[in-house]
Amino acid sequence: MHLTDEQLNEYLDNETAERAQIEEHLTACDECAARFSALKALFAEIESLPELELTQSIAARITTTPSLPARLPPSLTLTVTLQAVGALIALFFAAPIIRQYFASVLPAVSIPSFYDVLIEIQIYFAMWMRSFQSFQLPTIPTEILSLPKEIPPAILSVILLGILIIWLIGNWWLLRKRPNPLA
Amino acid sequence: MTAPTDRDLIVRARRGAAGGDAFGELVTRYQTGVFNVCYRMLHEHDAAADLAQETFMRAFDRLHTFDLEREFGPWIRRVAANLCLNYLESLKATAELDEERDTDESVRPEKQVEVKERSAQIHDALSSLPPHYRVVVELRHYQELSYDEIAAELKIPLSDVKSHLFRARKLLAEKLHAPD
Repeated sequence: MHLTDEQLNEYLDNETAERAQIEEHLTACDECAARFSALKALFAEIESLPELELTQSIAARITTTPSLPARLPPSLTLTVTLQAVGALIALFFAAPIIRQYFASVLPAVSIPSFYDVLIEIQIYFAMWMRSFQSFQLPTIPTEILSLPKEIPPAILSVILLGILIIWLIGNWWLLRKRPNPLA
Repeated sequence: MTAPTDRDLIVRARRGAAGGDAFGELVTRYQTGVFNVCYRMLHEHDAAADLAQETFMRAFDRLHTFDLEREFGPWIRRVAANLCLNYLESLKATAELDEERDTDESVRPEKQVEVKERSAQIHDALSSLPPHYRVVVELRHYQELSYDEIAAELKIPLSDVKSHLFRARKLLAEKLHAPD
């Protein structure tokens, strides 16, 4: 009885516990010895494949990758800071307008009891349901849109324009297309 | 001054900003080996270079989970083999077309004349194998993994490792020793 292909493969792969029996058989059986030699030659042939040399370094393509952790560039930090300052300035100038608007729309703030809140909700719910019958868009009082008297409109326009420009430059900086070092 | 070990470089690379150069040094050390794994699997130079690069990118992303007791070289080459296998399987339809194309070319006498060198023949024979056969040949013959290690790496049963490997060798023998 001859050795199976599996036995020969496992022997050459050093994955069998039957080494002694297989070696004994190979010395006695010419046919199996020939199959063994052919398989061994195939192993040598597969493993003779030379390693290719790289024509272009992969390291050079990877070390500049932006995904590697790095500190933000100073110019980007400055832009973000300027945007934050711009937003604060805008909020400072808009605060009187917002305050005036809410003062005209909402009643004076008072802390009601839980019972009052429930009643209010019921009332508002009933009003809300009724409002479907005669819905119309609210009209905005024209005096809300007027600027505070102490700030000339020209100066306010310049400030807001400046904030807008900083904002646009900052967003361009953040969203601009960077060259891909992997390309 | 002695060169830093792989372990030193991995620790430095994990630290972040200053780690870029350390990881670059690791890439320099293993890029040829990883490229050759990819080339044996894909048999296409540009694709092998791209997959080798992708291997290192994946390795960098997984560096924080890398067990420092393991050797980096064998690990990165196994990652490359797995990545190439996934790539080939994702391109199964294309691979089938390639197989048809290769079959067509194999009967052309001028193609037979072109492929003179034995290494080119071995590469051709390897590339003719299905991806799941190719990867076991790569892991057994070029990365010298045991059957059990291959099974664990590819998450397949031991019996599949053996059958894939033995059939792959049979196909390679037929390809390499076929009469011209």
